Amino acid sequence: MIEVQGLTKRYGDFPAVRELSFAVRPGEVLGLVGPNGAGKTSTLRCLAGIIPASDGTIRIAGHELAIDPVSAKRALAFFPDEPRLFEYLTVRQHLNFVARIYGVRDHETIARPLLEEFEILDKADQLPGELSRGMKQKLAIACGLLHQPQVLFFDEPLTGLDPLGIRRMKNSIIRRARAGATIVLSSHLLHLLEEVCTHVLILKKGEKIADGTLAEVAQRFSNGESGVNLEEIFLRATGGSED
Amino acid sequence: MLGALLYLRLTSARNWAKSRLRRLRQPKYLVGAIVGCAYFYFFFFRHLGRQPTRRLPDGAVLDATHAALPTEWLPVTTALGAVGFLILLALIWLVPSQRAALGFTEAEIAFLFPAPITRRALIHFRLLSSQLRSLVGAAVMMLFSNRWAVLGGNAVTHAIGWWFIFSSLNLHFSGASFTLTRLADLGWSVWRRRLLVFAAFATVVAVSIHRLPPEAAASESHAPGDLRAITAWVVTLAETAPLAWLLVPVHAVLGPFLAIDTRHFLLALGPALGVVILHYLWVVRSAVAFEDSAIAQAQQRSARLAAWREGRSRRTATTRSRRDPFALAATGRPELAFLWKNLLSTWPYFRLRVFLVAAAILTAGCVWLHRQPTAAPFLAGVGVLAVSLGAYLLILGPQFARQDIRSDLGHADVLRVYPLRGWQIILGELLTPVCILTAVVWLTLLVGALCFWPSTTSAPWLSLPVRVTASLGLALITPALVALQLLVPNAAALLFPAWFQATRSRGGGPEVVGQRMIFVFAQIVAMALALLPAAALAAVIIAVGQWLWGTAVAVGFASVGTLVLLVGEVGGGVWFLGTRFERLDLSAEPPPSA
Repeated sequence: MIEVQGLTKRYGDFPAVRELSFAVRPGEVLGLVGPNGAGKTSTLRCLAGIIPASDGTIRIAGHELAIDPVSAKRALAFFPDEPRLFEYLTVRQHLNFVARIYGVRDHETIARPLLEEFEILDKADQLPGELSRGMKQKLAIACGLLHQPQVLFFDEPLTGLDPLGIRRMKNSIIRRARAGATIVLSSHLLHLLEEVCTHVLILKKGEKIADGTLAEVAQRFSNGESGVNLEEIFLRATGGSED
Repeated sequence: MLGALLYLRLTSARNWAKSRLRRLRQPKYLVGAIVGCAYFYFFFFRHLGRQPTRRLPDGAVLDATHAALPTEWLPVTTALGAVGFLILLALIWLVPSQRAALGFTEAEIAFLFPAPITRRALIHFRLLSSQLRSLVGAAVMMLFSNRWAVLGGNAVTHAIGWWFIFSSLNLHFSGASFTLTRLADLGWSVWRRRLLVFAAFATVVAVSIHRLPPEAAASESHAPGDLRAITAWVVTLAETAPLAWLLVPVHAVLGPFLAIDTRHFLLALGPALGVVILHYLWVVRSAVAFEDSAIAQAQQRSARLAAWREGRSRRTATTRSRRDPFALAATGRPELAFLWKNLLSTWPYFRLRVFLVAAAILTAGCVWLHRQPTAAPFLAGVGVLAVSLGAYLLILGPQFARQDIRSDLGHADVLRVYPLRGWQIILGELLTPVCILTAVVWLTLLVGALCFWPSTTSAPWLSLPVRVTASLGLALITPALVALQLLVPNAAALLFPAWFQATRSRGGGPEVVGQRMIFVFAQIVAMALALLPAAALAAVIIAVGQWLWGTAVAVGFASVGTLVLLVGEVGGGVWFLGTRFERLDLSAEPPPSA
């Protein structure tokens, strides 16, 4: 469960995110969309506790991030668009390290199916430098899923994946949401959001333009037309340009 | 086409200079620039207008008022310089194992390789770039050499002389790499080529030694320890064919730099220029396909650069995987996970097993030395050397052992997601350099304790019990001292991330030099302040305690008291840095991407 109330993020005098409020319940997948510079990554990084919010409250799985960040972070996982790996740890050592950080007792029994799911089991003793971009992405995801988080944040989750990897990633997100995970993902790939998300939140210049289920948002911007896709909705909601 | 490439180079240089000037608006660069410029002025530019102390006229006696090297050293300097230069050239032919690459950047490859530019134009572009580097290098080296009193000439002749040296080295490197690539394409293996090149050089030297005049050979053989005889022998060898023939172009290149006055400088210009032109023709005519290796080299270089900028070691991602330093259980103190991770990032011999073996070897070595009557006079020297090394490591070690938050700032967003308090992350990150430096300092203390054995007459108060207690006491407080030392640069990285990142920027410049000097000065001041209470406490305990319990016991109590105080300081520092890490706004540096 994610509850965000009045989230504001300023960089100096520049407001990247303004008074953002929304909630995502278990089983829901919220798609965060908006043009470049809309504040998607800033929002995600605030939600994951990576950067401090300038104002507002964020509750993750019942824990207020500003007051009890450790409990909140124990429940979440953040997947950046660019995998950030330790160059000198092998795949297996990455999982070992993360297990100790999160205190995952039986990490080997959890890690093996994860590695199998992401098809990197045979790379277990390789360093990140020996992996392709997609493999690194898969390893970062496996590390994030090791402690079985209830809340998942994805920033452009399909970057660098091959077509099969994309399909698996989509299925993985849907499966985890069905299992009760709360998921927020940010992407420019609107067809991904249509396939995966139950809800959507459109941002522009740090402000919420619209949010709700896909059907609700579509209805708001359809102007009475039927069969309007998310791309058309996005363009209408954001004015069709970054400005 | 060359005009476009020249435009690219010059525009880039101009924009680089502009951006350097523009960033002086930021106080961190402005203050650094002021300190750096002051340093350069007082140590180099102030002396530019002055002539270095002249070499003595013939027949004059060298005395304390003439801090110059005598004139007769010039042939020796020339000969040694030429031989050194020749060795450098030999290495250019011996060492390389890769194909010619010419050192293009990734951006240059992306833009220039697909462009309608001939290979020869690309080579000219690289030569142009290296010329700019040679000019900068010559200017910098001139600042040093202008103060070398043994040389003649002035700042201008030195700068031009250095340019000839750098240019010819650069061109020779390019020409040699092309030639070596051609040889490789002809089927010459690397080791076959190395063997032949080595054999050729060895033959030249051997024949020259064989052809040495009898008096030179005699002076060498009859005065093995006499430096003058050895240098005279080297000079004669350098003047003996065939080595002398090989050194002709080298002397030509060194000529402008070593010219004693303007006339000699002008006379030396022609031959030097001739060598450079011949090198240029050689490079242009021997060019081979270099594109593939240029791309591979550019990727490696950019990976190294990225690693360096992130504060990581120069090791690239191609490093082999390592065995776990110790078995990391899935549960337990999470701080140990950082120790485990960071030990994996460093050299594999920073392990407990290696430390114990080293301690055993050093102990055995010191005991053996004690039993050698001839070694006895050196023992104290070895001991002092070991203790000095320990002190040096204690002070400068944190600059080398950087397996802490400084290396992981690039992963700060990942660390921030972990369910840990800030102090836990800081403590965990500090563990590896603390362990490494403590272990090394302990080894130096061990050697010091075993070797430094002053006689009871020279230092009667330094009895065996006092020495043992002092050594153990120092060993006891070493981890805390090391941790305290490490806290300072880590605090700098967290409190002034912008400054810390700035010191990792490449390209030098007075502002970066100044920033580094400020950091070192701040570290010394901070450490002095942090150690003051502990030193005062130890002094009081020893002063009072030696009357009550004797010196040895007082030293023991002083060590424990100091340790408690230092641990308190370290604890406070870790907690403070932890809160800073929790509040660190990762969005402030670099600029927001969202």
